[in-house]
Amino acid sequence: MIGGLATLRRATVLAVVRDGLPIHLSPLRADPGSPPGSATPTPPADPPLDRLSSPAVESALRHALARAPGLKALCLAVDLPPGHGAPVAAVRIAGPCPPALAPRLDIGHTTAPGSTATIIRGGHDLTGRPLAPLDLPALRRFARTCGLRDFAVTATGSPVLADHELQAAAAIADEVPGARITLSYEYGRAGLREREQWAIANAALCPGASHLADHLVRLLPGLPLYVARTGEGLVSAHYFRRYPLTCAEGATTSLHRAQTALAHRAAPASPRDASRTALTSPGDASRTALAGAHLAAYGATLAVPMAGVERIVRARGTAELDRAVSDAQDEALTRVLSAGAVPGSARVSSVAVNPLSYLPDGLFRLRVRAEGATP
Amino acid sequence: MTNRTPPAGIPPTSGSPSGSPSGSPSGAPASGQPASGRPRSYGAAGPAAAPTRIDRSTLPAYATGAGLLATGAAESAFALVRDWAHDVLATGVTLITPADLPPDALCVVVTLVGSTTALAEQLPTGDEPARAIHALERRTGTPAAAIAALNLAAENAILPLIAAAQLGLPLVDGDGTGRVFPLVEQTTYTLAGLSPAPLALAGAAGDLVLLETSRVEGTLRPVVLSMGGWAVAACYPMRADDLARAIVPGTVSRLLHAGHPAAGRTRPAGNPDKTSATDATGAAGGFNVADRTLAAPYGVSRLAVGVITAVDGVYHHTLDAPATGLPSLPSSVVVRESDGLRRQIRLEAHNEFVLALADGALAATAPDQICLVSLADGQVIDVDRAEPGMEVEVLIVRAAPMWHTEQGRALGGLPAFGIAL
Repeated sequence: MIGGLATLRRATVLAVVRDGLPIHLSPLRADPGSPPGSATPTPPADPPLDRLSSPAVESALRHALARAPGLKALCLAVDLPPGHGAPVAAVRIAGPCPPALAPRLDIGHTTAPGSTATIIRGGHDLTGRPLAPLDLPALRRFARTCGLRDFAVTATGSPVLADHELQAAAAIADEVPGARITLSYEYGRAGLREREQWAIANAALCPGASHLADHLVRLLPGLPLYVARTGEGLVSAHYFRRYPLTCAEGATTSLHRAQTALAHRAAPASPRDASRTALTSPGDASRTALAGAHLAAYGATLAVPMAGVERIVRARGTAELDRAVSDAQDEALTRVLSAGAVPGSARVSSVAVNPLSYLPDGLFRLRVRAEGATP
Repeated sequence: MTNRTPPAGIPPTSGSPSGSPSGSPSGAPASGQPASGRPRSYGAAGPAAAPTRIDRSTLPAYATGAGLLATGAAESAFALVRDWAHDVLATGVTLITPADLPPDALCVVVTLVGSTTALAEQLPTGDEPARAIHALERRTGTPAAAIAALNLAAENAILPLIAAAQLGLPLVDGDGTGRVFPLVEQTTYTLAGLSPAPLALAGAAGDLVLLETSRVEGTLRPVVLSMGGWAVAACYPMRADDLARAIVPGTVSRLLHAGHPAAGRTRPAGNPDKTSATDATGAAGGFNVADRTLAAPYGVSRLAVGVITAVDGVYHHTLDAPATGLPSLPSSVVVRESDGLRRQIRLEAHNEFVLALADGALAATAPDQICLVSLADGQVIDVDRAEPGMEVEVLIVRAAPMWHTEQGRALGGLPAFGIAL
């Protein structure tokens, strides 16, 4: 038996699911919303923590969980709305560039006022050769004087070699005790600007994600907590604290997953039919909002822990490539365990190896995904 | 390959460009190009009309056009080059034909060499095009009068524009392939007897390398790798009258036209008879069959619509094989046709797809271009991004007539990719 907790803008719902079927659906909060056609503007999106920490929702959640004593884990489905991120100190380790290609602090989750960015010399090219020594004194000066605690570090070439990001993280942690640091190589995709955007957005979400995870862990002691990823899969609360951006559209994704699951299980007069009716027809004034939250809560329970590794490797022969693939598989398995897979359940679910076009000497893009099971 | 002396005062070896009306591609001497099948130059200026300019307002249309038949339009590197171009295009760049220039004016071809993945990872400092062109100017002792493109695939359409804007020079309306080939030497410039060397390479780490060699390709690739995996090349320094007979004309303005928002957006991408995935992609991707037809001067046809069932791990048994001298490694993609005959389409790739077999029968080969287009987003799929399960259409883009000569097939056909058929 597993629980799904979804909080959407107008409704928060707990779904208790056994063998893939919802057996209890408990609305914890539902706003009636505006009647169709009314001119009332949509209220601004509030962060999920504000909704989940209201005393009424807390007490409703405790009450609903008390009715489901056999619960083995809880899967949270939330969307993290843009505009609530923390200010970020962005560090790019690279050479100089045209102004249009400088670090951007004005997109999506990274719009918090007070954010700042710098470019520090260093990084590696795609063959792993250093472009310049890492300018640690400049980095330390920036960390010391920026006045922020949430850092995003992106080094040229880190999908091949992450040394400069790791050295930078150590220096920042040394200068700013308690700093939260996102390193872009964890994302692994080639393309400095995209990886940097990912790192900055992730760093902006880290404080909010930590508060949210702290709150739920305090509320539900002893119950393993998972968070639905954007796209596919679940991650542990621990993983969510470090990589909240992977879950930024977890509720929307879970809602779609439930809709897909129900569409594929259409068998008349089956228990599934009844569950579909229960999920989609809550039957009160806030029908639409609740139906969405029901589906998202149910959808979150249908996912499994999942994690991936992407990197670029240089291999001069079959043996080297095989070893690199094997290393990436080990890393993916380690990550999926960190994402909450029950030990023993973790397995590699896909491996993709593509040679990079227009380069000699065997440079390859590796993508490995691993998945496992919840308790 | 003939190694021609660079321009600067050397008299033309072919028919003089004569008093051809500026703006009309048909004004170029006919050598090397049959008159039939020559593309109409959309939007190119006639003698009395105002010259066509590419500026910040028309850059999006040009960039869209450059992604219609080329891979990489959705990639990081293309967005980067677009942003860079927007930065430098404050006053715009004038499109000209070679006949607008004095016959002995120096024209320089600008192209990206190496990997777009490397470009997206190690960003340009911004002065690479200027450094490469200035190096060629110093070598030839002549200031450049105009910039031309090697080919017009994604980044390679935009980089010459950036170079022209930075140096305040006009851009020649045309390119050296009419499609895309992986090698710097696989151009109509080579077919016309012109040499890519002397060739100057400028890299993001500040490196500047001048190559003077008759073995450009073999020398170039290791140098580019040692420069970090990409560089801007200034090459094929040539006289305007040589460029006039070697270029595939009108292709820049053709892309401007094809990428324009008003250019026929009538049918969704993919199979027009299907309504499921394809309708959505027509809207989302913004591409459709009509657009691509406009971008292909010599015609485009659909070989099949289907699903990728396998991406062959050819790398495993070729990695230890003797080097072919070509950048990157061969691989294969198998597509199962969704409708009709449900044929199995096998595509062989060597940086680009170079051979298509339908149920074992030859369906298309280089020098014609084989494009794999994703039905999910309308983007052309790079060989190193193909994955099983992707819904795709396979398009065949006919190459310029000069590629279908004996000389053209030798340079751009299957043997050039190490495939004997």
